[in-house]
Amino acid sequence: MVGDFFLACALSIIWPAAARAKTTPIDDSGTQAIEPAVTLRWKSATPSRTGADNLMVGSTTIRVRINVTPWLRRSGRIYLDLPAQQPGPVSASWTTQGRLQPGQVHSGNRMLVYSRPIAAPFMEDVLTFQFSVDGTLIRRTFPLTFHFEMDEE
Amino acid sequence: MHATPPHRVRYSRDGLRRVFFGAVLFAAASHAAFAYTVTLTAAAPKAVYLQVGVGSFTNTYLNGGQPGNNTTINSVSVTVPGAAVGNGTAQSMTTNSTAAMSFWDNYIFCNVPGQVYIGGFYRTTGGATAAAQVTATVPTSLTSASGQTIPFSKISWATSGNGDTGGQPFPAGTFVSGGVQNVGAMSSNTWNESCWAFSYLNDSVQAAGTFTGTVRYSLSSP
Repeated sequence: MVGDFFLACALSIIWPAAARAKTTPIDDSGTQAIEPAVTLRWKSATPSRTGADNLMVGSTTIRVRINVTPWLRRSGRIYLDLPAQQPGPVSASWTTQGRLQPGQVHSGNRMLVYSRPIAAPFMEDVLTFQFSVDGTLIRRTFPLTFHFEMDEE
Repeated sequence: MHATPPHRVRYSRDGLRRVFFGAVLFAAASHAAFAYTVTLTAAAPKAVYLQVGVGSFTNTYLNGGQPGNNTTINSVSVTVPGAAVGNGTAQSMTTNSTAAMSFWDNYIFCNVPGQVYIGGFYRTTGGATAAAQVTATVPTSLTSASGQTIPFSKISWATSGNGDTGGQPFPAGTFVSGGVQNVGAMSSNTWNESCWAFSYLNDSVQAAGTFTGTVRYSLSSP
């Protein structure tokens, strides 16, 4: 039993270090919004009896251009990261034109959008986002920030 | 002393190189960005809907219905038999409204012609706010063609709803005679509905005739 205990401890220390990839934010300075602002509308024009259905939704199209020069001719995993931020929980889903993967993410999480060798210094795609947020959290116009990051293999 | 000027010049060159190199780095760094920000704005964040009697919806709430305008003015009425006039037995009134179903889910919530549907909502962004208020603007009396009058305070209403067990958002009441009275409230972002059954108190003798009057209901949001 004592031996087993020490073995388990050793594994628990070594395993996370071996699995951890280096994560680096990616320069997205070439990214541009095709529509400058996102207009949110009630998903349901009318509320429910219980007051539970208060989602507001809005969409926008963004021409994403990220600089992956530092990882050229290497393999990497690119994530879209939507940090937790004010005014509260936000969901984002998106479609792409094929260069990046479509997906969805809740604030405070990230989603894989690319996992192949990096063949060109810049990666471009047009993403159409739909954002969902609880209307009872919205008190004014608010910014929503996301970024792309690379997990190096 | 003589060695100083060349020394100074040499420093100056190095200094220039360092400044220039630093400027290049700064220019490159200032163009990089590591996050993208979009701005989200709520459009038409406020909406109110009040229906007394018939109303208009494109579909039920459960099927994504949208509210519409309906200018119909419904009536409630009763004909009191001559033998019963003023005997103190309240006379139930009936309505020409056909609104029995709730636009929330198409459930038969009210029983027509004995009840008038009243319902609606108050949509708003932000946290819970003060409730929206529903008021009735009531004339002093119902009048007949010959100028006889019956005070509006002779009409009252009970409240209920098929399948409801709790309190009603639009409680029972009696009209004031002339004035504006509160007849219910709506919490923000909730659907509210009740069914009103009107009755004429019939506790005084009146001249024969047809007595009419119109009450206007209004919804005011904070």
